[in-house]
Amino acid sequence: MAAQLNLSGPPDSGLSSLTDQSMSSQTSNRSLRVAEKERRKNEAEDPSVLALQYFYNVEAGTPVSGNDEVERNLVLVEQVAYRNGLSPEAISIMLEFAMSLRMGHSLCPRVLKCLIPVTVVPQEAVVRGVSWLGVGKIPVSTQVLFIKWVLTVFDMIDAKDQLRAIYGFIFSFVSEENLCPFICHLLYLLTSKQIVQVFRVRKLLELQSKLGRQPFLLNLLSLYKVFCPELVTLSIPSRSKSVFKNHNMPWKSALFAVQKRNGSQVASSISLASASKDGTNRRKRKHRHLEIPVLSSVVNKEPQTETSRRLVPLVQIQSVAELLENMDHIELPAQMGSLLGSSLALQYLDCVQDESALLRLNFWLGYALHEELLFCGDGASQNSEESLQFLDKLLSTQHFLQEGFSSSEAFLYKFLNVWDGSLLRPQILGLLSNIPVIPSSQIGRLLFEPLMQLFFTSSVFFKCGLIECLNNMLLKWLIWHSVYALEDDLDISLNSHTSINMTLSGFKDSVMGLVDFVGRLGSIGLQLEGCHSLLLSFILDFYTMVCDMFLKYGLPLVVLPPPGVFYPALFATDPVSVDRLAFIMYRYKVNLTSAKSQEKLTEQAFHISRQTFREFNNYTVYMVNCLWNSKMFQPGMGVQLGEELLLKSNVPQYWTSFDLVHHPAFMSYAIDFHQKCWPGKKDIDLDSIKHSKPWSWYLEYLFSQGYDGLELFVQSNIRARQGDGQQGDSLST
Amino acid sequence: MERHHNSAMRTPLNSVAVQRRSKTKSYRLSYRSGIGAASRLGFTPGLTARRLNTSRKAPKSNKITEKVTKEQLALLVKTEWKLSYVTPLYQFRHTQLKSYSRQLSAFIAAEKQQGLAVDVEGTQNHFRVSFSLVQEMTESVDDAVTVLIQIHSKPLIARQDEPQRPVWSGWLTCINGNPEYLRSLPKDFICLPLFCSSEAGGLTSLVKSWFQQSFDCCFGPLEISHTSLQWLMALWTNCQPESSIRQLKMIWTLPVEPQLQVTYTVDAEDAWQLWSSVRKENTAGEGEENSIDIEEVMSFMQGLKGHFFRHFRLDLSAGRLNEVSTALGSAKHSGRIKFSNSKYMITTLMLLTECALLKMPI
Repeated sequence: MAAQLNLSGPPDSGLSSLTDQSMSSQTSNRSLRVAEKERRKNEAEDPSVLALQYFYNVEAGTPVSGNDEVERNLVLVEQVAYRNGLSPEAISIMLEFAMSLRMGHSLCPRVLKCLIPVTVVPQEAVVRGVSWLGVGKIPVSTQVLFIKWVLTVFDMIDAKDQLRAIYGFIFSFVSEENLCPFICHLLYLLTSKQIVQVFRVRKLLELQSKLGRQPFLLNLLSLYKVFCPELVTLSIPSRSKSVFKNHNMPWKSALFAVQKRNGSQVASSISLASASKDGTNRRKRKHRHLEIPVLSSVVNKEPQTETSRRLVPLVQIQSVAELLENMDHIELPAQMGSLLGSSLALQYLDCVQDESALLRLNFWLGYALHEELLFCGDGASQNSEESLQFLDKLLSTQHFLQEGFSSSEAFLYKFLNVWDGSLLRPQILGLLSNIPVIPSSQIGRLLFEPLMQLFFTSSVFFKCGLIECLNNMLLKWLIWHSVYALEDDLDISLNSHTSINMTLSGFKDSVMGLVDFVGRLGSIGLQLEGCHSLLLSFILDFYTMVCDMFLKYGLPLVVLPPPGVFYPALFATDPVSVDRLAFIMYRYKVNLTSAKSQEKLTEQAFHISRQTFREFNNYTVYMVNCLWNSKMFQPGMGVQLGEELLLKSNVPQYWTSFDLVHHPAFMSYAIDFHQKCWPGKKDIDLDSIKHSKPWSWYLEYLFSQGYDGLELFVQSNIRARQGDGQQGDSLST
Repeated sequence: MERHHNSAMRTPLNSVAVQRRSKTKSYRLSYRSGIGAASRLGFTPGLTARRLNTSRKAPKSNKITEKVTKEQLALLVKTEWKLSYVTPLYQFRHTQLKSYSRQLSAFIAAEKQQGLAVDVEGTQNHFRVSFSLVQEMTESVDDAVTVLIQIHSKPLIARQDEPQRPVWSGWLTCINGNPEYLRSLPKDFICLPLFCSSEAGGLTSLVKSWFQQSFDCCFGPLEISHTSLQWLMALWTNCQPESSIRQLKMIWTLPVEPQLQVTYTVDAEDAWQLWSSVRKENTAGEGEENSIDIEEVMSFMQGLKGHFFRHFRLDLSAGRLNEVSTALGSAKHSGRIKFSNSKYMITTLMLLTECALLKMPI
């Protein structure tokens, strides 16, 4: 063995490291001399190897005092240890030397202090070291030092299986009063489920009654509780931190320095503590229903047969890697609600297939929501800070899972009837947008009736918020549809458990219901709010999605906006709204054309009613007439006014009022264009833009301002540029 | 409470889900849709049926005394109980009561001395918990057997032979729970929605948190609503011929400044006369289906209020009924109840079970 010895690095010629050591000055001087001598001999043979050989071979009972040889060799080893760390073999030799007390116990602490591993610590060495403890000749302080050392390098021990095998032996040292805290820590690191036995619990409880509430006993017992909650009951006061003391300072800095010098990445997570709860300081409050339960394992376990798979409690899982490893045999926690409190558990929640487990979670969640927001009439707003945090947590969970919980849905149906529209608005609207598809027969009563009331009695900002929420809801429904439509041909099928089956047409009815509802809200909302441009923008957002339902989400359904939305958008005073409307109309055309061609191609394509085509054509023709042809009031169009009334209004050339030049949204562009086109002209004659040449320049100018929707609309609907008198292109029905 | 009442009545009538055929995804549905999940669990009309019945059987004197042991009955009758509702208990086993007793006593000991671990197996505890079944106190086959919990304790300074004193008791029950709801729950769940506890020494909250941690359930306060109190008045008055109610006493609060409290006491015979006068002809007969309708209860109340108005020019409709009591028992809006006569206990418990089930979140 000695022949293979090899210290991690060449001994450094510098002496500075030696001066760091805590020795008496006399010894230090001598060591310096010795080291100096050693250095000269360095070239011949690696002296540190020889030094280790010395410690390996030294006879028991060799005297220490006055023994220069020991001193010299030890200094050599120390030198290497503090500079580069010791190799696994060196650790084995030195540890064996120290613990066997071959040269008495005076050198022991000094040797232990320099056991700085460079890579790993061999498990055998530690096991042998522990076994020497049993001999009983080592002074207590040295024993403590040894255990402290084991704790410090615990993460660097190359394997733990043999150490676990002698758990019982290590456990026997807990009765040694001085060793107990450190032994408890070591046991804590080694404990596994099989090890937790009634007699060990008893022993610890007995110690507890003797020593009082010691944190080290408590920590070990609480770990036992995690593994075997049926054996030990313990409630830890929320204030006390369940962390073992960091009693390994002598090595920590040396270890750190060595590792730094070697650039090694061996992480020594020295503060390996019990799974400390996240440091949330829970305020005392009267109602505790919003508190997310602590993750803990089940007490009343089903008797497990030996053959059945061993289940791992979720509490014991510390990393995603472990989670993946044990994915198929994880034991659910005692309280399902606790999954919401841990991000790791949340990952698992996505895979939970147990119906009862989800029902438990829903019972808890529904209970919390009901108690907080529905049942306690008086104190509801007082706790709004906590409610807010709770709902935010719930929302982020639902976002993570990409779906809503059924209990929050059931809660919302009740809550909407009593909601004032302002309490926790963003959260409630967020939850609302996660509601899954509701059958069209229910949707009115559950959703539309309460929302309608809220919509008409609330501020414009609520209106915007609600439209956005419904927009998100529709988006989720459509995504859901498009994902599953790909999966199987008849996408939505009846399930044997349901009383009412939702077919594709059922789904379409629901979507249609929702779109119609938003159309109604939009029409009346725009009237109530005087065509508020913010509200209009949210409504147009909604229709930007609706117009593409067929092509983007594969839903064979085309629903046009109602006149109450279309005309306010067309006559809006801001160009962005008009542009967006133009884009929406363009997308409608693309969708309808594509649907029509599919209808011709395949038999089972869906049928679009003539009414839809007619509506679309009316809108398009009107838009073209209005913006392009300056013919606002044609007979048979959507907007009609009596000739006399129009004359009475004294608006000159009223039929041109909303063409691309005179439209209030574009007038400023027209004037700007006019000035750029004819810089010299003092009188602005906007009509002059309408001549063939300037008209096409004007269009180009407008499109260059970023009005892509308008450009697409013009390109798709107007065939050729022949100056005035062009016709809108309409789809045949 | 009123608010809740309203909303409960508007809970979805029918449960429907959009279900995917895809097997891989189907599990998600259990939390995909509230109505969906409900229907999957067979709640189809469940959510809806969960409103207070508008008609119930007239109380019959029950032979409960023959079935339930004397000690248990004495305990149930003599105490005023604070009511709570409990969501279904997960993996509660009526056969494990011994082990539950041990665990709960260890839990209480641990909570009482925070930060001191307690041996579950040991018997050195200061508190002794016993779980027992109240057999035969059920109305329908779907009802789970009532569980009675008693906690005894030994005074700290006590003689060796001094017996342990009972310090707390409570029970979980379900009498004639909505069968559709009960059957819709998976087998792992035991529904005992009504929790009655005697308040003493903060043990109630300890027992509750032990249940929460052991059976993943939730406890919420259960008030006795205005309507329920009126029902109780009618049901109790209806017993007058068989067992004297002595007097019908109501306590009303009226919303005036300063608040006015009215104690309104009616002689038993007068109450009975008024009650018989509002009973409908067809149901008044001694037929098998002797049922009481909400309309009858309302007209009974109307009669009582009218009488009061004639005398004091004070319309009680504006106020709130806070408390009713008769010789058969007393009930308070805050959720406290006392059964003074075991014969009619079952009827009252049926009403309370209904109230508790109404509070279920799903």
